[in-house]
This record gives sequence, C-alpha cells and structure tokens, in this order.
Amino acid sequence: MRRSIAVVLLSTLALTACSSTDSSGAEKTAASCAPASGPVTLTFTSWVPDIQKVVDIWNKANPAIQVTVQTGPNGNGGTYQNFFNQLKAGNAPDLGQIEYDALPSFRVQDGLTDLAGCSDVTAAKDQFVDWTWNQVSFGEQGHVYAVPQDAGPMALFYRKDLFEKNNIKVPTTWQEYADAAVKVKAAGGYITNFSNSDINQFAGFAWQAGAHWFTNDGTNWTVDLTDPATTKVAGYWQDLIDKKLVSAVPPWTDEWNNAYNESKAWTWVSAVWGANSIATGAPKTSGKWAVAPMPQWNAGDQVAGNWGGSSTAVFKGSKHPYEAAKFALWLNTSSEALTELNKVANLYPAAKSGSALPALSEGVAFYGDQKIYDVFSTASGQVKPDFTWGPTMTQTYADASDGFKAAVSGQGTLLKALQDAQASTIQTLKSQSIPVKE
Amino acid sequence: MTGPRGARRHLPAIAFFVTPFAALFALFYLVPIGYAIVQSLYKVERTGTFGPAREVFGGLAQYRRVFTDSPFWHSVERVLLFGVVQVPIMLGLALILALLLDSGLVRGKRFFRLAFFLPYAVPGVVAAIMWGYLYSPNLSPFTAVTANLDLLGADLVLWSIANVVTWVYVGYNMLILYSALLAIPPEIYEAARIDGAGVIRTAWSIKIPMVRPAIVLTTVFSIIGTLQLLAEPQVFRSFSSAVSSTYTPNLTVYATSSVPNFHLAAAFSVVLALATFVLSFSFLKFTQRRGAR
Repeated sequence: MRRSIAVVLLSTLALTACSSTDSSGAEKTAASCAPASGPVTLTFTSWVPDIQKVVDIWNKANPAIQVTVQTGPNGNGGTYQNFFNQLKAGNAPDLGQIEYDALPSFRVQDGLTDLAGCSDVTAAKDQFVDWTWNQVSFGEQGHVYAVPQDAGPMALFYRKDLFEKNNIKVPTTWQEYADAAVKVKAAGGYITNFSNSDINQFAGFAWQAGAHWFTNDGTNWTVDLTDPATTKVAGYWQDLIDKKLVSAVPPWTDEWNNAYNESKAWTWVSAVWGANSIATGAPKTSGKWAVAPMPQWNAGDQVAGNWGGSSTAVFKGSKHPYEAAKFALWLNTSSEALTELNKVANLYPAAKSGSALPALSEGVAFYGDQKIYDVFSTASGQVKPDFTWGPTMTQTYADASDGFKAAVSGQGTLLKALQDAQASTIQTLKSQSIPVKE
Repeated sequence: MTGPRGARRHLPAIAFFVTPFAALFALFYLVPIGYAIVQSLYKVERTGTFGPAREVFGGLAQYRRVFTDSPFWHSVERVLLFGVVQVPIMLGLALILALLLDSGLVRGKRFFRLAFFLPYAVPGVVAAIMWGYLYSPNLSPFTAVTANLDLLGADLVLWSIANVVTWVYVGYNMLILYSALLAIPPEIYEAARIDGAGVIRTAWSIKIPMVRPAIVLTTVFSIIGTLQLLAEPQVFRSFSSAVSSTYTPNLTVYATSSVPNFHLAAAFSVVLALATFVLSFSFLKFTQRRGAR
C-alpha cells in the first residue's frame, strides 16, 4: 500500500514537471542571425531519397558546418507528425523539409524561424520563381520562413502511341479532355483515375482554375473550399465520375501502377515529379509517353496548376540559424546541389537558374526523347502566384479525402465533400483558437 | 500460510523484486496516462492568425468537444457492431478448433496446432497488406470473386477487415483455450465415459464449462482489441476508398494528433480508455454473476 502511494506521488511529481514547461510565446520579429564562433553540427530531416549524396558535397566543402541527415517517410506520411512532436518536446532538428501546403501549419504552431534577419536569405528573393517565394514569405514583406526547394508545375502526361493509334486529338482544353475520355473508354481504357485519397491533385486543378481556398487578413482566416472556381472543377470531375469515364483506383497503390503498366490508364495530369512516378510504376510503357501543357478552361489560356513542392525550413529552437540558413540557400540555389537533387530525386528547382541545368534541357528516353522539362519550365511561369494554404491542411485533406472517397464509391458528391470539409476545417480552426470568419 | 508478520519479515525481498516492475510500470504506464489526462485538460489560446499560442487550463472544454464529435461516436458504433459480430465468430471458431484438437479425433495434432497458430506469427500489418492484395479487384488471384463482389466497398469493407482480424487471432485464442482444456484432470473424463457420455456430450457438458474462465479471458482481450482497432483499417486505407480517416476510434485519435491538436487527441484517448475499461469490466461482472448462480 505504502509503495503504491509512493508510486502515485512519484508520478504526480513527474507530471508537474512535465506540465510546468509552458510553450514560450512566438517572436514577432525575425531571429537574430549571427555566425557561431566555432565549428557547428546541424541536423536536417528530409524524405528526399539519397539526400545524403547531396549533403556529402556540402560536408566535404564546409568542414566547419557539418550537416547530419535523418530521413523519414514523406511529410503527411509521418514526418510532419514527428516534427510536431519534436517541436512540442523541444528537440526538433535544425532544418527540415516542409511542403508549401504545410508551412502555415508549422507557423501556426510557432515552429519556424523567421529568416528575415539573415541578409543572405532576403537577398536571394529574386533568385526564386515568384510564387514559390510568396509561399515561404506568406506574401508578407520583411518575413521569410523557409527557403523554396522545388516546385510542382503541372502538365498532361499522355500515351502518345495509344492516342495516335486510336486517332484521338491530344486535349488542350478540359472540354476536349472530357471528349477524349469518352473515346478512350470506347477503346477499352480509362483516361485517368480520379485521385480520391490524395487531394493535392484536386487542389492543383482548383489552383489552375483560380480558386482561393484560404485568405488571411492578419486578424482572421477565411475558408472558402466551395468558391466558384472550385465548384466548377468539382462539377467537372463529378460528371466524369458519374459517367464512369474515370477510374476510382486509389493513387499511389500497386493497383494504380498496374493500371498504367497494363495500358489501362492513358493520361495523368500531374506535376513535374510525376515523370519519375510513371517511369518507375509503369516500366513496360517506356518510350510511349509524351507531355503536353495542362488542359485549359478557356481555349487559348495559358495557366498551369501546381502540385506539391517543398521548402527547407529552419525550426524554432535551432541554435545556429545563420549556418542553417547558409546551408539551406546552398542546397536550393547552387547548381551543384540542384543538379544532384535532380539526379537523385527528379526535383524540379524553385530557383530560376534551375531551368538552365544541363539535366533539365535533355530529352528523356522514357518520354520518347522529348525534352519534357521545357514544358514544365513554361508551366512553372504560368502558376498563379496568390494561392494561400490554410493552417490545418492535414485535417482539411483528411476530411476532403474522406468525402471524395465516399463520392467515388457513389455516396454523395465531390461538392458535398468540399462543403463538409469546409465545415470541419472551421471547426478545427476554432478548436485550435485560430481566429476564423464564418 | 504466513501472516502479516511473515510479510513484514520479507519486506526487503518483496521490495527488491517489485521495484523494477513498479519503476517501469510507473514510467511507461502511469506517467504517460497521467500526462494524457493533464494534456486533455488544457486548451490553446492565441491572438491573431499567426499569433503566439499559449497553453491554458481549459477544464473540460476538450471533453465537451469529444461528446459533440459525431465522427468519433460513429466510429465507436462501428467498432461495437464489428465486435458484436466478429468476436463471437472468432471465439466460436477458436473453441471448435481447440475442442477438435483435444478430442483425439484428429491425427497430426501437433501439425494442426502449429498451423492454426501460424497466422498470429505474421505481423498484423503484413497480414492486412496480404489480404488487401487478395481483395483488390486488379491484383487478386481470385478474380472470379473480386470481380463480382466489391470486398473493399463501403458495404463490405468492415467485414473484410473482420475476416483479417479473425484469420490472425483465431489461432492465438485457440491456443489459450486448448491449454485450458489440457489442464482438465483426466479422471473427470473417465467418470464421464463410465456414465456413458459421448465425445459431443463431454465437450458440451464438461469441457466448455470447465474452460469458461479462459473463454471469459479471451473475450475481454477481444473486446479491448476491437475498441483499439488501428493497424488493419490504417493499412486498408490504401486499398479501399471506404475507410475514412475517422473509421475507428484510434484512427480518429491518430488523425487528431496529426493536425496537431494534442489536447483534443488526449481527451479522445482518455474517453476511449474509459469506455474500454467500462465495457471489459461490465462483461467480467456480468459473467461472474452468472457464474455464481
């Protein structure tokens, strides 16, 4: 009995110790950015495969600033959750890979160091494609919360051989895409799958159509997942789903790879990094693919969507923001790092100089030696610069994808899913005490 | 038996043997649970869209959210339905298999005992992935079935998951029941045989009543396991579009903590733990009362 009292006392003690560490308030101003006096070691977490090879180049050239790499699953696959837990526990790495759509979540959790105090970083603004800089600065003058790494301008991957064989015109508008879907179905395939579990593709479509899911006026967030542009996109895909012109295979599964490999799926409107996904998922179709600009809502328009793209952020609590920022800049602007990043992971740089990389001006054998990166380079400049992500995207994606999945299995519609996600997003913001306009 | 005086004499020895357990139990069980309870009583306050967040005491604010969160309660209903159907089927099968092994009617007892138990040696995630492939229309070797029956659709996926769970745990439960059967003294069977009881009669009137405590135990384990269902539905999310991010209570907790909304997730966990405790405990009470009669 006495023992159990001791145990209870002990655990209460431990509890008070745990709960008394209150989270400190966020700094309004940028962190000071002064170099350390001696050699430093930085930790960097990323899910880019073989990132170690890129970091090795840096480590060899910079003995005083050594970077240790940790790799993990992709962001929403677990790394973000680790970051959030590490931030709460106060042992986050110095640097981390964060996609643009997750940056607001990390800023809301007070996890990012404002690098505006590092003059090198602010001076690098013009080296990056405009919209990527907007993503890391949240459109605010005098702040920068991460260094842009890569971008995901979207285009149309299609099976050139099958389109030619069946005499189908390569669609330039979404109307032509829907018409082609009918012909592809008649020829025994699906034009594509509707990405019901990965909402980012749909977000890219909505972005292209001019949607504004989130706006932030400084005092309040506004959530609008059902603005006219998004409603139009949702209606378009709902129609294709209703007519069974697109398949409901969940993306990123073996079944989905199989559909491409067995020529059952003929196109994919995807980001630049998708080139790699098809090549690895459908090896049997090598040489038969081509890339064309993304279909447009109005004939003659030149607007592209964006899907994905990451930044390199310095976490709150890093003792060496100067060195961390220096490494992040090198990683994302130097031609040696960009070349290697492209080689190991097909990353398409957010730095303007990136499009001039030798590796990005060559023909790609899998795509019949087409110089596919030219298409994406053009698309990158056509991405609308003013798309803002919300501060709880993990939840918004999860709720929207729950609804989208229901819609493709015939329960409800995409629009209904977006309405529900809208309501639950507002609910989640409120439960986090994040001010939101209803 | 030694009285209190004996206990006092052995106090140093008792302390010596209990301390390692007590320390680890406190460190990895009591403290985390206590921490979760404390976390569930806090809430976040902030000013402005990106303003600094402060953690302040929120009383039962998170619990109010828990009780008005309809997806969470839907998921609780779902696993209860799952449990009401799957647990009796699984334990019924386990009991039949255990009785068969014990009856002396089967040859190769050792082989079957191992074969039935083998699925439990397969990690739950691997089992779920394997069954996921078998269910997928484009990947399954049983195309005749999967082409006509959407095993991953909204109507059936819960029972597809139930099948996986049953496949994994039947052998495990069978082994518990079988070892309980082995502990029955052979004299009782002898007496039954002399009284003219056949194999089925012996099973029904002697074996089943005598392994009742083991059946109750496996049922409690299964109730707890059902309410905490996580790995199988999580894996099935990549095979089926019908498994939502709030499909089971534990998935809801996981999804909430990735927002990250640690306080609400903690409140969900506490409520789930209490519900599990109440259910298991009332089942135990219920069976004890019936047993006493």
